[in-house]
Amino acid sequence: MKLRRCSRKPAFPWFGMDIGGTLVKLVYFEPKDITEEEELEEVENLKSIRRYLTSNTAYGKTGVRDVHLELHNLTICGRTGNLHFIRFPTAAMHRFIQMGRDKHFSSLHTTLCATGGGAYKFENDFRTMADLELLKLDELDCLIQGLLYIDSVGFNDHPECYYFENPSDTQNCIKEPCCLDNLFPMLLVNIGSGVSILAVYTKDNYKRVTGTSLGGGTFLGLCCLLTGCETFEEALEMASKGDSTNVDKLVKDIYGGDYQRFGLQGSAVASSFGHMMSKEKRDSISKEDLARATLVTITNNIGSIARMCAVNEKIERVVFVGNFLRINTVSTKLLAYAMDFWSKGQLRALFLEHEGYFGAVGAFLDLLKSADDT
Amino acid sequence: MSEWMNRTEKLIGSLRVQLTGEAHSLSVYRFLVNDIMELNGFHCDGEGCAEEKEEEPPALMLPRSKTETPCSLIATPGADSEAAGGSALREQRVSKSTPVMLRLDSLKKNRPPFPWFGMDIGGTLVKLVYFEPKDITAEEEQEEVESLKSIRRYLTSHTAYGKTGIRDVHLELSDLILWGRKGNLHFIRFPTHELPAFLLMGRDKHFSSLHTTLCATGGGAFKYEDDFRTMANLQLLKLDELDCLIKGVMYIYSVVSSGPPECYYFEHPTDPERCEQKAYNLEDPYPLLLVNIGSGVSILAVYSKDNYKRVTGTSLGGGTFLGLCCLLTGCSTFEEALAMATEGESTCVDKLVRDIYGGDYERFGLPGWAVASSFGNMICKEKRDSVSKEDLARATLVTITNNIGSITRMCALNENIERVVFVGNFLRVNTLSMKLLSYALDYWSKGQLKALFLRHEGYFGAVGALLELPNPS
Repeated sequence: MKLRRCSRKPAFPWFGMDIGGTLVKLVYFEPKDITEEEELEEVENLKSIRRYLTSNTAYGKTGVRDVHLELHNLTICGRTGNLHFIRFPTAAMHRFIQMGRDKHFSSLHTTLCATGGGAYKFENDFRTMADLELLKLDELDCLIQGLLYIDSVGFNDHPECYYFENPSDTQNCIKEPCCLDNLFPMLLVNIGSGVSILAVYTKDNYKRVTGTSLGGGTFLGLCCLLTGCETFEEALEMASKGDSTNVDKLVKDIYGGDYQRFGLQGSAVASSFGHMMSKEKRDSISKEDLARATLVTITNNIGSIARMCAVNEKIERVVFVGNFLRINTVSTKLLAYAMDFWSKGQLRALFLEHEGYFGAVGAFLDLLKSADDT
Repeated sequence: MSEWMNRTEKLIGSLRVQLTGEAHSLSVYRFLVNDIMELNGFHCDGEGCAEEKEEEPPALMLPRSKTETPCSLIATPGADSEAAGGSALREQRVSKSTPVMLRLDSLKKNRPPFPWFGMDIGGTLVKLVYFEPKDITAEEEQEEVESLKSIRRYLTSHTAYGKTGIRDVHLELSDLILWGRKGNLHFIRFPTHELPAFLLMGRDKHFSSLHTTLCATGGGAFKYEDDFRTMANLQLLKLDELDCLIKGVMYIYSVVSSGPPECYYFEHPTDPERCEQKAYNLEDPYPLLLVNIGSGVSILAVYSKDNYKRVTGTSLGGGTFLGLCCLLTGCSTFEEALAMATEGESTCVDKLVRDIYGGDYERFGLPGWAVASSFGNMICKEKRDSVSKEDLARATLVTITNNIGSITRMCALNENIERVVFVGNFLRVNTLSMKLLSYALDYWSKGQLKALFLRHEGYFGAVGALLELPNPS
């Protein structure tokens, strides 16, 4: 476990925030080494915040604490405690700010490290509604720093990183832990509402190669429109039951078999949603089929673009993060398969357990770093 | 002699296929050709042979009339060195003893009987090109069988066939010289799901008695091969769709000499006041990135007439646009979907950078108006209730188009190619997408890339198939 040296510690509470297009990700450090003396001096609202966060796993109607991701006994900046991972929809941002005001957060801590687009968009609201000053950080900087940190401390003595052995066998492929020993270079694909693709050469040397607007937000938005579902979990549930081949036009639907000349198997999708121009076919498919086709289309498009980038940047390791992959084994397996298949085994898809939280972790680290600056 | 040429052509053709159609160094091809020619009793002076710029046409060429052959095929004085020496196989020179008369003889021998068709059976549409001879002599007319006459009359006196067949009259090429005959080239399309009806018509018109071979490309040439045989007693000559596409593009570009220019681009694509279509000179076309947007998308890097590779593709194509639109808006045709898209506003449906950042994402040069998440606003019920079908159609069009543009840009960058030609029927009557592609390519490449378009859009595969008529398998 790596220890971070701090000469000056920032005041508690220690938060890191990533305000994304769809979700707000919050990491909270709960100190477990509080001395009696410290406890006596602790102000009431700090205690109340700690109690509120750690004794609940749900907050209001939409806030969730991902208990399974909690990091135990983390030592950082000379303190030992647990790192908690909390998320809620960005649409609930104003309520969150009001809560901060009601709990007199500003009296504790006038600086809050925040990243993501919302750090810019809601900056004024934080100031006017809760008298809180945001320290704005770039989301991609935070993503990388957060990822490197979590990988270095490990996930409660388990590896943070994993891949799929035998990805072409979607039924039986095995999740295997992997060591990110030789991290660099890596292609980092962050799938949130939208997608950013980064080529990371060293800890401090990276570039944003490209992005695509067909991301997690597209999957959910289209699913809501096509199936009437309302949440990510519902959409995934439907997708897990559907069959996209009724919706998509495959190579074999056009060629009667493989398109051998260019190595395109009959089972490959030639035209996503291509069957849906026929009324007969539209009437014969289910909502589950549509959800599955949406998932497959978005996932394969991201995979295809990621592969092109990997080839161009000459990088073999492709790491996928972001909350689109949360509880989404269909997509992770599809990405693993696509990377392996289309590259004939040259590329490997890697995944990380803390998926969409790295930006928030990076912001949290910056809080400690800024205290370190003398 | 022509038999030898055909055999050699086929052998080289099959070798090329085995080399998986990827771009290979010229020396590989030269080696193969020299080998084959020596086997057949031709002697080549090794390296010197290939380097010479001869005035005479190469021996391995297909017999064609000088007047309608694409200019890149003929070694004319001053032909640029790339066309003369850079193209593969077919440009190989032999000794000066190759007789020129040989070509004219085989021209007469190899001229196929009428009717002359080329067919491209795609995932959504069948594209048909038909050559209508206008130089029929009285003698020829007398000898002509009734079914041939009737086919000609049927095709040329209608612009619509059944409920779904259409002849694109505005694309007709008049007074074309093809294999020594003069006539008009017609462009016809109908949905692939109407193919059975087309086959029945072919049977009823006794097409098989006229012409037992039909040149066809596209996936359907493979998928429906048996149906052609069993339903209409017709044997298909199956051709690869991308080979045909490229041949067709080069041919049409070379023969369009009057009327609206075949190749064009958009100047000021996003300014409704100033936007205009301008002609583009594609005479020196290579290298070229060719993006074929049909039901799905194929992206080809074309280095010369015979040297190209399929770089990649995407399954989010024209079929996706139409399929999604039908589902989201209840429309049933491409034209309806486009009409709705024209009326709609995609910014209420998409989540823009400014919706997330409150402005630009300056650090990485992403302007506030750029789309961060397509359909991203649709996760919110309120917003879903507030958008119109037209907005959804527009968002679908913009999403598919921008995705294609983005992938294209990546390919162009990697292949180091600046000119991108977009073809395929997704762009038919779809100025919205063409302008979007023009703007996106220009903007995101900071002016490095240029988006070009061709008037005959989706017909090049069929034209390429037609051009293979003199080479029965």
